Amino acid sequence: MTESVHDTPSAIAGSQSCVGRGGGVALDLVGVTKSYGDVHALRGVDLRIPPGRITALLGENGAGKTTLMSLVAGLQRPDAGRIAVTGHDVADAPGAARRALGFAPQELGVYPTLTVRQNLMFCAELAGLRRGAARDRTAETAEPLALTELLDRRAGELSGGQQRRLHVAMALVHRPAVLLLDEATAGVDVRTRTALLDLVRGLAADGVAVCYSTHYLAEVESLDAHVAVLDGGRVIAHDTLSALVDRHARGALELTFHGPVPEDLDLPWPTRPTEDGLRVLADRPHEAAARLLELLGPTSALSGLRVVRPDLEAVFLELTGRRYRDEGSPADA
Amino acid sequence: MRESLPRSVLRVAALVRHDLRLHRADLTPLVTMTVMPLLIMAFVRPLYLSSLSTRYGTPPDGVPFTGAELAVPGVAVIFSFFLAADVGYGVFREHGWRTWDRLRTGPARPFEVLAGRAVVPLLVLLVQLTLLFTVGGLLFGLRVRGSYAAIAAVGVCLALCLVAFGFVLVALCRTVMQLNVFSNVAALLFAGLGGTLAPVEQLPGWVQALAHVTPTYWAMRGFTGAVLDGDGLGGAVLPCLVLLAIAAVLTVAGLNRFRFDDRKVSWS
Ligand SMILES: Nc1ncnc2c1ncn2[C@@H]1O[C@H](COP(=O)(O)OP(=O)(O)OP(=O)(O)O)[C@@H](O)[C@H]1O
Ligand SMILES: [Mg+2]
Repeated sequence: MTESVHDTPSAIAGSQSCVGRGGGVALDLVGVTKSYGDVHALRGVDLRIPPGRITALLGENGAGKTTLMSLVAGLQRPDAGRIAVTGHDVADAPGAARRALGFAPQELGVYPTLTVRQNLMFCAELAGLRRGAARDRTAETAEPLALTELLDRRAGELSGGQQRRLHVAMALVHRPAVLLLDEATAGVDVRTRTALLDLVRGLAADGVAVCYSTHYLAEVESLDAHVAVLDGGRVIAHDTLSALVDRHARGALELTFHGPVPEDLDLPWPTRPTEDGLRVLADRPHEAAARLLELLGPTSALSGLRVVRPDLEAVFLELTGRRYRDEGSPADA
Repeated sequence: MRESLPRSVLRVAALVRHDLRLHRADLTPLVTMTVMPLLIMAFVRPLYLSSLSTRYGTPPDGVPFTGAELAVPGVAVIFSFFLAADVGYGVFREHGWRTWDRLRTGPARPFEVLAGRAVVPLLVLLVQLTLLFTVGGLLFGLRVRGSYAAIAAVGVCLALCLVAFGFVLVALCRTVMQLNVFSNVAALLFAGLGGTLAPVEQLPGWVQALAHVTPTYWAMRGFTGAVLDGDGLGGAVLPCLVLLAIAAVLTVAGLNRFRFDDRKVSWS
């Protein structure tokens, strides 16, 4: 990953397609803007993903994650800006861009009357694989997603999580250079989630650029991905997870009390009132917690104490002023 | 970088095989649209027989009419129209399954997706017409006085017309109910206009004028030319050319109107 290459804007200038044109950039968005009537879904989004990198797209419902992916996939056209997939401009060379792309949309799309094998074979053959090669590829793709046992079952008879695995596998079977996964782990069990995350890590290690949207902050932390935080159609932060945490996240203690917050509290850390108590900002929250309990003594009106580690949730809170809730139900602004 | 033709052909072939599998999962429409018309041929053959006698008097070759001379091609043409919407249902089905957007973002080009979607509906129509003519012919004593090749040629051209018509329908319809209604109404309307229900000469003058631009009229003219008038392949040239011209116009119109990003829903 040679960062210096990414700084040349020529990376997406190449509308004459030829593989490798993109230099070190597998997916490149510059100034991408999209509105639906009055709704500004994306406002000047810049995003670059080099080969082998996982970039997690994070943002509340309506932040613009799906819009971004459907623009990359060519389902819609941006109002302004340029998008290139492995150097192929999505507007000028849509065919070449699509062939480099694998996309698992947010909503399930499988052929219910066909078997898992037929679903995968179709995708492989559509990508130009001959029958034998397609059969091998189908088996290879099914394996890590635990679909091997299900290959001869009809897709319509699978459980939701099993269908989700097939849905993702269909985006992978042709080994795309760029993979877009829109909430690939929505509604799956822990084992499936682990399998999916392992798979994504493996693909990235093989050089696939992955754009991964999710509402589960823990997933992003476990992928150790780059993070792009989308808020109201803008990328408000984009960096490695650790850099974001270092820069934006402060640890904190969240206190609640029986009754109102005592007025005579005199703590050696900055504090902020919250809806139901007090937020104590402390860089090392665990140490601060011990001291705080000591300071308050056993007779205080303290009813609850929560340690907020400096993590992605804290980053989100710091950047947007809102708490990020899992399962995509954002806190009210 | 232009893509080589073979890759394009491979993708269309993959789409066709895929569509075959999807059709195989539900053969009921094809079976129904083949069995039902055979039954109906049995009901209507006496009617067609009396109509034949009034129109032709005695048969030119002395062999008595059976009624199948009109019943088989007439009912076949009517029921082939009921399968014209097949190509449209294929598109709606993909929308319902949310696989249409997958196709759009996949490696196939738009043109290939459409081409791949046209082949199986065309085959379905050819199978239906073949079964109706052979089984119906055997059951009801169809005597072909002219060329079998002429019948086959007209059948292929009619099927092409119907697939093109199906494309126009799906390009125009937003909901599957619209497709259903338009295709059924069109089938009955064209059946009447084309002379499959009553001889065109007995229709009002302005309707007769309209009849000459319907594929049903030209299909009936081609079929009956071979069956009744003993036409050879040469007699099928004009009906075939007109049918192909209609197919071409419909294809252009359909392609012109078809939008890959149109929203297609089952219900509004
Ligand atoms: N087809 C559409 N027509 C009108 N508005 C749309 C359309 N698609 C998206 N929007 C709007 O654009 C904004 C971004 O939507 P988008 O689906 O990209 O959000 P998201 O980040 O994927 O949200 P979620 O987490 O709920 O999936 C929202 O305000 C949404 O209402
Ligand atoms: Mg979304």
